[in-house]
Amino acid sequence: MECKLVPSVCSYCGTGCGVLFEVINNKIVGTLPMKTHPVNEGKLCIKGWNLHEHVNSILRLKQPLVKTFGRFMKTDWDEAIQLTADRFKEIIAKHGPDSIGVLVSAKITNEENYLAQKLARAVIGTNNVDHCARL
Amino acid sequence: MTIKRITFLQELLGLFGLQERVHLAWISSAEAQKFVEVVTAFTEKIKSLGPNPLPAYRDAPRAALAAAAH
Amino acid sequence: MKEQIKSWLEQGTVDVFLGYREVDHHPIPWCFTQEAIEEVDDLVVSPARYSLEKIATHMAAEDPDIRIGMLARDCNNRALNVLYVWNQLRPEQVVTVEANCCPSPLKEHADCSYLEPGTVGAYKKAVGIDNHLRLEAVEAYGPEEGRNRWMYEFQKCIKCYGCRNICPVCFCRECSLDHDDLVGTGPLLPDIPIFHLVRAVHMAGRCIDCGLCEDACPMDIPLRLLYQKVNRIAMDLFDYRTGTSGDQPPFSILGDRVTLEPKPIQPVTGAEA
Repeated sequence: MECKLVPSVCSYCGTGCGVLFEVINNKIVGTLPMKTHPVNEGKLCIKGWNLHEHVNSILRLKQPLVKTFGRFMKTDWDEAIQLTADRFKEIIAKHGPDSIGVLVSAKITNEENYLAQKLARAVIGTNNVDHCARL
Repeated sequence: MTIKRITFLQELLGLFGLQERVHLAWISSAEAQKFVEVVTAFTEKIKSLGPNPLPAYRDAPRAALAAAAH
Repeated sequence: MKEQIKSWLEQGTVDVFLGYREVDHHPIPWCFTQEAIEEVDDLVVSPARYSLEKIATHMAAEDPDIRIGMLARDCNNRALNVLYVWNQLRPEQVVTVEANCCPSPLKEHADCSYLEPGTVGAYKKAVGIDNHLRLEAVEAYGPEEGRNRWMYEFQKCIKCYGCRNICPVCFCRECSLDHDDLVGTGPLLPDIPIFHLVRAVHMAGRCIDCGLCEDACPMDIPLRLLYQKVNRIAMDLFDYRTGTSGDQPPFSILGDRVTLEPKPIQPVTGAEA
């Protein structure tokens, strides 16, 4: 019998509540709020309380899919990224860089947000960057 | 069992002043007269108590609470 | 205490020991085992309380024969008693190490998060219910004022189900609060006060007054007082003391002789409406 409580941060929104995952025999069976976490102080919303459910969900997306002839086909990351890059290049060549916008998220870290805007401005060449927190 | 639960429920509803809206009576299928008496008496009681105040809190909590404050 | 736990693990008295360990300065529940016995040196009695017995029931659900050692405060012990009564754990499979609990003249030091309650604002005191009041003070509000104050508290509910999820004695696989026909999904303000009263009714003879639900409530609804009320009724009507009694609660026994009588229909008193 292996039982661990693993501290983590809720991935649902930008608040960043501290959670504990209850892991029994290498399977996440529950989520608990972290009592001593300065952000949520032992409280959670309904999404946070059910964090463990999507981890074991059969509907969970585990690998990239490419839509070919109207159907999603499984593929690997290299192919998916290559395809995305090719399509972006095509669109930029045809309609210009400002035809592309980048939406970033409060769910990812500041550093990742920074990298995303850098990709938008330096690589794609557009200022169309927006964020879900800029309401 | 029933009487335990009903008595418990009456006590709990007392917290909201609604304990009189629950009533329990033992009536056998042969006691038509008693059935009529109990139902009539309880109907009259409920009518005189007026509508249940609780739905107002659910439908428009702020308004109901503001009205209660005055 | 640590030596005792080590010897239990070494001798196989217990398969696992549930306590707390600091991870990145956060005391979190930790499962100590014989394989990593050196970790027992890091055991702490944390002021932050988690429901260790709930983790124990989850482990027992996986492996019914597991023997569990546990760091237990008074509230943990009461919860364990209730879980024994409801056949979620067997008394012979659990060994406890007593931890310091509520302060008293005999115990100056106490390790419990509930001892430092949050502050209650003036508005909540005026229109709602101060979480630190005694039950008698809340009952003394009378029907109308009591109703207004309770409904103010209930209408804040964001339906996070935290009170149910954190509860050490909530173990049902099917929950009335999850039932589509009883509590619909979707609309945010749940059916008040039914949502809270359904839970309150189920807590009668079960709630061990640990206060974890109130700790976990993001809206600071005085749930502890509500469940104290249902337990008070269970005690007054049926003389049932939750957490110390080894019997099933009064509501789960059929055919038990009762002395209660149906109440007569009282004439309307006038003031109540």
